[in-house]
Amino acid sequence: MRLVEIDDLQVTFSQHDGLVQAVRGVSLHLEAGESLGIVGESGSGKSVTCSALLRLLREPPAKIAARAMKLGDTDMLGASRQEISAVRGRVAAMVFQDPMTSLDPVFTIGHQIAETIMTHRKVGRKQALAQALEALRRVEIKNADVVLKYYPHQLSGGMLQRVMIAMALSCEPDVLIADEPTTALDVTIQAQILQLIKDIQAETGMGLIMITHDLGVIAETVDRVVVLYGGKVMETGPVNDIFASPLHPYTKALLNSIPGQVAGKRRLTEIPGASPNPAHPPAGCPFHPRCPMAIAACQQATPPLETKADGREAACIRVAPELVPA
Amino acid sequence: MTAPALELRKITKRFGDFCAVNQVDLAVPRNRVVALVGESGSGKTTTGLLALRLIEATSGQILLDGHDISRIGQKEMKPYRRQLQVVFQDSYSSLDPMMTLGKIVGEPLQIHGVGSSAEQRDQVQVWLEKVGLDGSYANRYPHELSGGQRQRVAVARALILGASVLVADEPTSALDVSVKAQIVNLLQELQADIGLSMLFVSHDLSVVRSLADEVVVMLRGRVVERAPTDRIFTDARHPYTHALLDAMPVIDPKARRRRTFLSADEIAARTPRLHPSDLVAEPLSDSAEPQLVALAGSHFVEAIVTEHAA
Amino acid sequence: MTGFIIRRVISMLVTFIVVSIIIFLMMHSIPGGPFDGYDMPLPDDVKARLMATLGLDKPLWEQYVRYMWGVLHFDFGVPYQSPGESVISLVAHAWLPSVTLGGLGILVGAPLGILLGMAAALRRNSWIDYIASAVATLGLTIPVFIISTGLILVFAVWLKWTPASGWGEPRRWILPILAYAAVPLATYARYARSTMLDALNKPFVSVLRAKGLSERQVIFQHVLRNAAIPMVTIFPAMFVGIATGSIFVEAMFRVPGLGAYFVSSINKRDYPLEMALMLMISALYSVSYLIADILYAVLNPRIRVGGGRR
Repeated sequence: MRLVEIDDLQVTFSQHDGLVQAVRGVSLHLEAGESLGIVGESGSGKSVTCSALLRLLREPPAKIAARAMKLGDTDMLGASRQEISAVRGRVAAMVFQDPMTSLDPVFTIGHQIAETIMTHRKVGRKQALAQALEALRRVEIKNADVVLKYYPHQLSGGMLQRVMIAMALSCEPDVLIADEPTTALDVTIQAQILQLIKDIQAETGMGLIMITHDLGVIAETVDRVVVLYGGKVMETGPVNDIFASPLHPYTKALLNSIPGQVAGKRRLTEIPGASPNPAHPPAGCPFHPRCPMAIAACQQATPPLETKADGREAACIRVAPELVPA
Repeated sequence: MTAPALELRKITKRFGDFCAVNQVDLAVPRNRVVALVGESGSGKTTTGLLALRLIEATSGQILLDGHDISRIGQKEMKPYRRQLQVVFQDSYSSLDPMMTLGKIVGEPLQIHGVGSSAEQRDQVQVWLEKVGLDGSYANRYPHELSGGQRQRVAVARALILGASVLVADEPTSALDVSVKAQIVNLLQELQADIGLSMLFVSHDLSVVRSLADEVVVMLRGRVVERAPTDRIFTDARHPYTHALLDAMPVIDPKARRRRTFLSADEIAARTPRLHPSDLVAEPLSDSAEPQLVALAGSHFVEAIVTEHAA
Repeated sequence: MTGFIIRRVISMLVTFIVVSIIIFLMMHSIPGGPFDGYDMPLPDDVKARLMATLGLDKPLWEQYVRYMWGVLHFDFGVPYQSPGESVISLVAHAWLPSVTLGGLGILVGAPLGILLGMAAALRRNSWIDYIASAVATLGLTIPVFIISTGLILVFAVWLKWTPASGWGEPRRWILPILAYAAVPLATYARYARSTMLDALNKPFVSVLRAKGLSERQVIFQHVLRNAAIPMVTIFPAMFVGIATGSIFVEAMFRVPGLGAYFVSSINKRDYPLEMALMLMISALYSVSYLIADILYAVLNPRIRVGGGRR
C-alpha cells in the first residue's frame, strides 16, 4: 500500500480580490521507504500541496478538491477531525522551514516533545519525557538532558531544527515531510541537517518527502523527483535521470541557471521573466511565456502529464517519447 | 597604481565585550568584485555596514577611492554617498511600499539635488531600463512586483547617482534559483557597463563563484582566508574554507557522499602551520598566535608561523 | 529578578518625588486660594490670619517640604473642607465604596470582555465577531454618564427591577457596577480579540496542529497562554481606576466614594486633600505597573530565563 497517494489535487484560496489557484491538478505518490523530492520555486504550489495533504490549511479560505488524497489507508478528504488529528504526527510528521518560530515560546523543549508523544501514545508524562530524551539523542544533540529543560529562545537555528526533527520522529511516523528544512540555516548546518535526515531515513526505512527550491538539496537527498511550476507537475522521474537528461524545458532551464557549476566568472543562463502569479495563471502550459521552445499550441491547452520513458513523465507537447535517451 | 575603490584597514567593531569584527583588512580594486563570505556570526554583514558607515567602527580605517572617510561627520559624508551605495537582501522591506517605483528610484536624485524634475524623470526611465524593467514600471508599486523585479529596482536606486562602489548584502539569498541568475547577470553587466566595483556579502558560495574576482572568508569576526576566486575553490588552505566548500550541495546525484563534520573547536585546532619559507612576505609579528600570512598568488591565510611546520 | 525589582522600586521613588513636585506646583499655580471662593468675601486681614494659620504664607518650597515631611510620617494633613478629621480618615471612609464599585466592576467587566474577545477571535467574521466589535465600540464611545442614565431608565424606572441610586444595600450596587463595567468590558473585548488573533496566526500554531493536537488542545493549552501575556500589561491602568473612583458613575448613582473629592478638592483649593489624592494615584499606578511587569516577566520565559542562544 502506498504511503501517500495524491490524485489530481486542486487547491484554491478565495481572497477579497479574487481566486488564487495555488495547486491546479497535482498528482504524486510515495511508496514505503521511498524518498521523494518536490522541487519548485515560489508560487509553484509545492508547500500548499503537502499542507493540503495534512489538511493544515484554513478551510475556508482554502478549498481542497481531489480525486483521491490518501495517507496510508486514511482518506484525508473524507476523514473526520479526530481521524485527521490521529494521523498527524503519527503516520505523517512534518518539519517546517523556520525553526526559530516553529515552537511555542512559553513551554520547554521537553514539554513540547513529550506532548507529541502523549498525544499519540498511552504513556504518562514521566515516560513521555524519557522518550523525548531518547528522541533528542537520536538527532545527535549532546547534553540532551539539559536541552529538555531549555526554552526555544535559548537554542540556535541548527539546534532547533534538530529538535523539530526529533519531535517529528518521536512517534515513529511512516513518512516525514520536510518543507524547506534547511533554507533558513547556515550552509554547514544545512549539510549536517540533511545528512541527519538521510541517516535517519536509512535507519528507520521511513518514507521521506523533501520540499525545496534548491536542486542541490534534491541531488543530495532523494531518489525520485517531482518538478512543480505554476501549480502543476512539469516532470517526474528518478533523480539521476532528471539531472542527467532533463526532459521538460523548465527543468532544463532550471538546471542550467544554477550558479557556480562551472569555474570562473561567467554569464549565467537565465530564465527570462518571472514565475506566474497564482491569481492570474497563464492559459495552457504555465511555462509557455518563458519557454524557449514554446509554440502556439502550448498556450491553447494544458499539456497532459504523460509517460515519456520508463518511470519518467513530462507535461510538455514538445517532448516526444521516442526522443528520450535510453 | 590607482587606489582601490574601497579599502578597509584593520577595521574593528566591538559591542561591549563582544568583538564582532576583528582587525579586518580588505580591498576592492577598481572594477572588481570582492566577495565577503561566512556564516551567521562571522561578522560579514557588520563589516559591510561598517564600510558604508551605517554603523561606526570602534577602530580602523575606511578609504573610498583613497579618501579616508572613517571619521568624517555625516554632513561631510553626504557627497561620498553618491559614490558608495548599498543593496540589501530583503527587497520587500527595503522599498517603501507607499511610494511608486519612479519615486523610489528618483529619490536619491532629489536628495542630492541633481537635475531638474524633468531630468530626474528621464534618468529614472534610463535606469529602469538599464536594470531590465520597462519604463512604464515607474508608476507601479513594490507589492506589484516579484522578488527579482524588486531587487532590480533596488539596484537602480542604488546606482542612479552614478555610484562607483556598491556594497551588496546577500542580494540573491531570498530569491528563487532562476531569478538568482538574472540578478547575477545584471550585476555583471553593470560592472562592465559603468565600471562598478562591488563588495558582495554572501553565504552562497555558488553565486560567489560565478560573480566574484576575489573571495574573503570570515569566521567569528576575523578573516581566515583571502584569495582569487579560482584559488579558493581549487586550493583552499584553511580548514574553515574547506568546511564551507565541503558543505555545498553537489548538483550531481551520482556524486552523493556521506560527509563528516568538524566542530568549531576542531576547526580551530587545525589552524594551518606554515614554515616561514612557505610565505612570500615576512609575517607581521613573531608571535605563535594565528595571523594572516601571505602565500603565493595573492593568497592569504590565517596560520601559525613556526619553524616546526608539519 | 531581585535586582530588577530593586531597580524598579528605586525608580518608583524617584517618580513619586518628581510627580509630587509637579502636582504641588500645578496646584499652587491655579489662581485663588481656599478662602477666595466664598459668597461672603472675607476681610483681608482675616484672610491673611487664616492663611498664616495654615502655613500658606510661607514660601512654596517650604510648604512643599513641610507637607512631604508629613507624608513620610504618613500624615497627610487636615482637609480644609472638613477640619474635624484628618485627610487619612476622610479618605478611609470614602475609599471603601469606590474600591467595591471599581473592584466588582472590573471583576464583572473584564472576564466578560475577555470571553467576548476570545469568541470573536475564534469565530472571525461571524455574528459573534460583529456583536463583540459593536459592544466594544459602544462601551468605549458612549460616555459613561449616558450609559448610567440608560441603565437607570431601563432597569429602575421602566422595569423597576432595581433601585435607582444610593449605596446602602447590595441591591443598590447592581446598576453602578454594570455602568462601571462597561469600559473594562469594551477594552478587554477589543484587546483580547487582537491578542488572540495574533497568537492564532503564529507559525508554531500550525506546527501544533501538524503534531496531531486537537483544536481544543491547541487553543486552550497554547494559544491562550500566549495571548494572556500581553493582556496582563493593560491590567494596571484599569486597576488604578478603581481607586480614583469613576467620578461620573459615583455622581450619577450617588455613591459615597472618592470620586466627588477629586473635583471638590481642586475647586475648593483643598491642598492637603488634593495632594493626598494625587499622590495616592501616583503610588497606585507605580505599584500596579511594577506588578504587571513582574507578572509579565514570570509568564514570559524569554525574560525570565535570559541568556544567549546555544
